[in-house]
Amino acid sequence: MTDTHDTVAAMVAALSRHEAWRYTKLSPLVAALGAEWWQPADQVADSHTPAPEFDAIPLDGTCDLPAISRQRQATPEGGHDAPFTAQLNRLFARQTTAIRLTDGSHPEQPLLLIQRADGGACYHRHTLEIGAQSAVTLIELFDSGRSEAALCSSHLQITLQPGARLTHYRIQQQAASHHHLGSLQIEQQRDSHYRLHAIELGGGLSRLDLTIHLQQPGAECDLNGLFVLAGTQHADHHLTIDHAAPHCRSRAEYRTVLDGRSHGVFNGKVVVQPGAIRTDSAQHSANLLLSKRAQIDTKPELEIYNDDVQCAHGATVGQLDDEQLFYLRSRGVSEDGARTMLITAFAEAVIMGIRHDPLRQRVEQAVLSKLNNG
Amino acid sequence: MLEIQDLCVSVEGKEILKGINLTVNAGEVHAIMGPNGSGKSTLSNVIAGRPGYTVTAGSIRFEGSDLLALKPEERAWAGIFLAFQYPVEIPGVNNSYLLKAGLNALRKQRGEEELDAMDFMQTVREKAKLVELDPAFLSRSVNEGFSGGEKKRNEIFQMAVLEPKLALLDETDSGLDIDALRIVAGGINKLRDPSRAMVMVTHYQRLLDYVTPDVVHVLADGRILTSGGADLARKLEREGYDWLLK
Repeated sequence: MTDTHDTVAAMVAALSRHEAWRYTKLSPLVAALGAEWWQPADQVADSHTPAPEFDAIPLDGTCDLPAISRQRQATPEGGHDAPFTAQLNRLFARQTTAIRLTDGSHPEQPLLLIQRADGGACYHRHTLEIGAQSAVTLIELFDSGRSEAALCSSHLQITLQPGARLTHYRIQQQAASHHHLGSLQIEQQRDSHYRLHAIELGGGLSRLDLTIHLQQPGAECDLNGLFVLAGTQHADHHLTIDHAAPHCRSRAEYRTVLDGRSHGVFNGKVVVQPGAIRTDSAQHSANLLLSKRAQIDTKPELEIYNDDVQCAHGATVGQLDDEQLFYLRSRGVSEDGARTMLITAFAEAVIMGIRHDPLRQRVEQAVLSKLNNG
Repeated sequence: MLEIQDLCVSVEGKEILKGINLTVNAGEVHAIMGPNGSGKSTLSNVIAGRPGYTVTAGSIRFEGSDLLALKPEERAWAGIFLAFQYPVEIPGVNNSYLLKAGLNALRKQRGEEELDAMDFMQTVREKAKLVELDPAFLSRSVNEGFSGGEKKRNEIFQMAVLEPKLALLDETDSGLDIDALRIVAGGINKLRDPSRAMVMVTHYQRLLDYVTPDVVHVLADGRILTSGGADLARKLEREGYDWLLK
């Protein structure tokens, strides 16, 4: 029983020397959660409690849309996953659920994947294939059924076949006592389009390794991130966008709002391969620190191996603007009200991009209640 | 309404206002003129409560109570409005949202009921006409992407909605072309009221060609050198400030 725990402890110890884990330390987590947490497990039962406010197609056992095929299979052993989060998930998730949306389908309702942690360790492992020329929205919700300490490990590998379009909303709203280790791998074929809105609101420690492979010409991705953290929360997104083919386009826009002693980490790495001419890439990280003890580590990175590219990156870190605060207060808005207005306005830039009304309202509400209580 | 006595103010240790005495009564329009750097804007900012200014001596009383003890929003609730020299752009906060929040906070303080969305929209549409502002402005972010003239018109529009007792107009005429100046001045004139006082801070005579002040003060080097009627402004325009500064 201690074997796997030792394996994980050794892996985590090795990570501590790894640049990608410089700002996020897992050793305390591994030590705190104890040996019984780090064991292979059956995938937690699919959640059958879709959020009632969504008119959505649940991707659990109840899914009966003919365009969707769904299979649960044993996770193949011995494969190699690059980021530690994916590796850990393979080690422990005994099953993988493989979902495919058939070619040329355009479901009106979004697909819904609820990944719930209920205390203990939960391992979710999915593959999702979007068939050629299909277009769909995926809502992925991470929440908590109970408030006891829990670890949620999630791995989702998405393949977009030629001409496929996916809008992906990934909302992490776990309880503060829950920890989240996520891995998201996107494989994009010719002329496919992937748009992500990743929102980090909950959890104690949360990490996402996001890898995008723009494998064939004309693929595009548009990544939007928002962290709203307070207390001692820690959230870390590591992005790698691999431009492996010509004429691909990538965008990443991340915003963080950090209060209390929270810590945000953003690392966005864009790699442009030698053959990937006419690459168009831009990323930006904007960060709002609300307290003196909040911390952000933001690092956009570029690795470019040809000359025919347009790449831009930038980062800003700031506090609420005193002039703006005074302007609002001089119009009769209270100091707290003015702060909330400005913070909300900053976050809205990402939230407004959520084109699914009930989900956008849910996120807006969650952000507001967090600002008012924290 | 407003009584300022021996007011001394410094910014980052440097003394800007060196003993200002000024009384403004309801219904009066005062113009404060003076060369650049004389402390004109400091005076209006201190009255409105802008952070960053230290009052080292003197007092400001508004309707008999100590204004300096109040936060900026409490001064707004008491009926003070500052039209900014440089209106701030606030991306993501739209005009009507700000105005509704401000107006309802004010009404609450006055013991009035909050306006519902319908009544509010009716009020602001009416007021927007005062400064010939397209109501489409309401759904745009505060001052974002506005031209200089639009920003100043927006300030007067906000004043019309918030209906202050004392309006401080800080260089409201600067950066306006002649048409915009006419519109802004027209708006100010329509808002003149026996129960409302206005203090216009300006460097030039030209706004005063449209809005005739009751009293003109000349501020230089942190002191009011002289006060007079509307004639004084015209004399300054002809002869400059030199004769006063000698």
